[in-house]
Amino acid sequence: MSLGPGMSADLASLTVDADPTEPTAPAKDSDRQHGRSPSQIAWDRLKGDKIAITSLGIVVFFVLVAVFAPLLVKLEGEKLNVYHSDLISAMDTYPIIGANTAHWFGVEPRTGRDLFAVWAYGARPSLIIGFAAATLSTIVGITLGLLAGYLGGKVDKVIGWTIDLLLSLPLLVVVLAVVPVIQQRFTPAGETLTAEQKSGIRFYVLIAILVFFGWIGLARLIRGEVFSLREREFVQAAKVIGVKTRHILFKEILPNLVGPIIVSASIAVPAYITYEATLSYLGAGLVEPTPSWGRTVSNAQNAYARYPLFLWPPVLSIASLVLALTLLGEAIRDAFDPNTRR
Amino acid sequence: MLIYIARRIAMAISVLLVALVATFLLFFAGPADPAQSMCGELRCSQQKLEDIRHSMRLDRPVQEQFAEYFKGLFVGRDIIQSGSIKDCSAPCLGYSFRSQREVKGAILERFPTTATLALMAMSVFLTVGVSTGVLAARRRGTKLDRFVVGFSQVFGAIPYYILALLFALYLTVLNPVFPRSANISAGVGPWLVGLIAPAIVLGLYTSTGYVRYTRSAMVDTLAQDYVRTARSKGISENRAVYKHALRAAISPVVTILGLDMAALLSGTLITEQIFGVDGVGRLTIQSLFQDDLPVIMGAVLMSAFLVVTMNLVVDIAYSFVDPRVRLT
Repeated sequence: MSLGPGMSADLASLTVDADPTEPTAPAKDSDRQHGRSPSQIAWDRLKGDKIAITSLGIVVFFVLVAVFAPLLVKLEGEKLNVYHSDLISAMDTYPIIGANTAHWFGVEPRTGRDLFAVWAYGARPSLIIGFAAATLSTIVGITLGLLAGYLGGKVDKVIGWTIDLLLSLPLLVVVLAVVPVIQQRFTPAGETLTAEQKSGIRFYVLIAILVFFGWIGLARLIRGEVFSLREREFVQAAKVIGVKTRHILFKEILPNLVGPIIVSASIAVPAYITYEATLSYLGAGLVEPTPSWGRTVSNAQNAYARYPLFLWPPVLSIASLVLALTLLGEAIRDAFDPNTRR
Repeated sequence: MLIYIARRIAMAISVLLVALVATFLLFFAGPADPAQSMCGELRCSQQKLEDIRHSMRLDRPVQEQFAEYFKGLFVGRDIIQSGSIKDCSAPCLGYSFRSQREVKGAILERFPTTATLALMAMSVFLTVGVSTGVLAARRRGTKLDRFVVGFSQVFGAIPYYILALLFALYLTVLNPVFPRSANISAGVGPWLVGLIAPAIVLGLYTSTGYVRYTRSAMVDTLAQDYVRTARSKGISENRAVYKHALRAAISPVVTILGLDMAALLSGTLITEQIFGVDGVGRLTIQSLFQDDLPVIMGAVLMSAFLVVTMNLVVDIAYSFVDPRVRLT
């Protein structure tokens, strides 16, 4: 969001079109900037950005929770998907205990599952889906954007048209339609899937759909950049001396696009995490018994008034994780953008 | 100009056609047994399966299925239901064998609610978004500006459904500060009043983006020479801001509005589900839980149609406003 202290506007503007293969005009008042790649400059700016560092801390916290979920739950002395029906009141299905040392967040109304275990394991699908979909859609976006921009002509037309098509489909409605159809596709005739199988299928379907719709933005960006880059001398020179197209694309052009790619990927992660949580909340995402914060929120919305401990941990976790990732993404974008000045 | 419009319409039609084929393939070729999945019941009777196979031409080659489906959309078709033939008039969006009614009827019944919600939300986010954006741009660099930008950034970065859910749970259910939504059959008054809270929440959340677009567009135009000229010839500051600067700054905002139609549709879907508003979005989600595929299919077709048409209208309207658009 804000630049580091001492980063004056004219220093920042020196990085315009910074290009590793083409030295920029020598820096007047700073030798520090000389010969540094845009990524290094952005990293320096990012390190001085308090909001970015705080956000990074929050993200790291949730990643640690996800990675060490089994350990944390063991520390609590619990297991995932153990139903403590003895802790549930037979009268109104609410737990007879609150949060205590055995159950840090209490137990789930009706089922008696340990809510801390559900919460800790719930960090996993969010983060895995967010990062996996962002990685894959970035790869697809880079490839298609490079092809459209460099080859132009028919390839560009087809890709451009596909982008327009995908932009005109309402993603949420399409997901609601695709999920049950694909689920049925994988259901053997006359059988029904177990809950685990259902949830497993949905996990991959979610990633696939997010990638299917997610590559568009980056592809458009890359296409535009490649259009101008391919006319530059270093690309022309490479072409003239007979460098293979693949080599030109990935070794000559791509390194110049690292900035926009990192920015686009870092903004995609929170968007995908939001989608997973929203879809799971709506019932089109992950299903029981896979823990997902979105599912927990959905389960909790009928019991929140008497048992707020059910609703608030996942609500606060999704909100702060997505907020931190978004602010981090915006800070990364500002750090790469030579025009920002504060 | 005409060439641009013709090209734009051709583009829209081609996109719609592909969306049509994609939906067809998804629902007819996607499931292992389309008849079973259109039935919407776990144990579908043999008679019903036969009806569906016959109505949908599932016993015929795939081209014929598509021809029948396509024909249904433009001239209507017949649906066989427990021995009797029903007419599904054009545009036939399909037949829900589960609820035993035409999909079109089910959707049209709910559509006014969704459209009203969308329009109400749109008026909220346009007025709040644009006026706050202009205010922030005029006070650029002040505390107020920083507060507006920071607030819209943070508020807009929290997932929408979390905010909407908390609002709905704590302000319409637990402490009924705002009236809860009501079905239109309860009367137009309660129905409209019930839409206020969802429209405000959706509108305010969406406005965070518009605040930032308007602010940055206004910051640019306020620095233009012609605004300085207008000021220096002595017209009032308000006139310079609204008459001269805002008119130019508003066009990128309109473009974003056009591109945002699909997002608005998703927004109403989530809002309807959270606030219990009986609109098309909630119908779609209910159909998902009931495995009522024909309704979902109809909803997909209709929303693709809506989004494509809205984008088309905005683009053409825009080409009248801004002549530079036609060149690209």
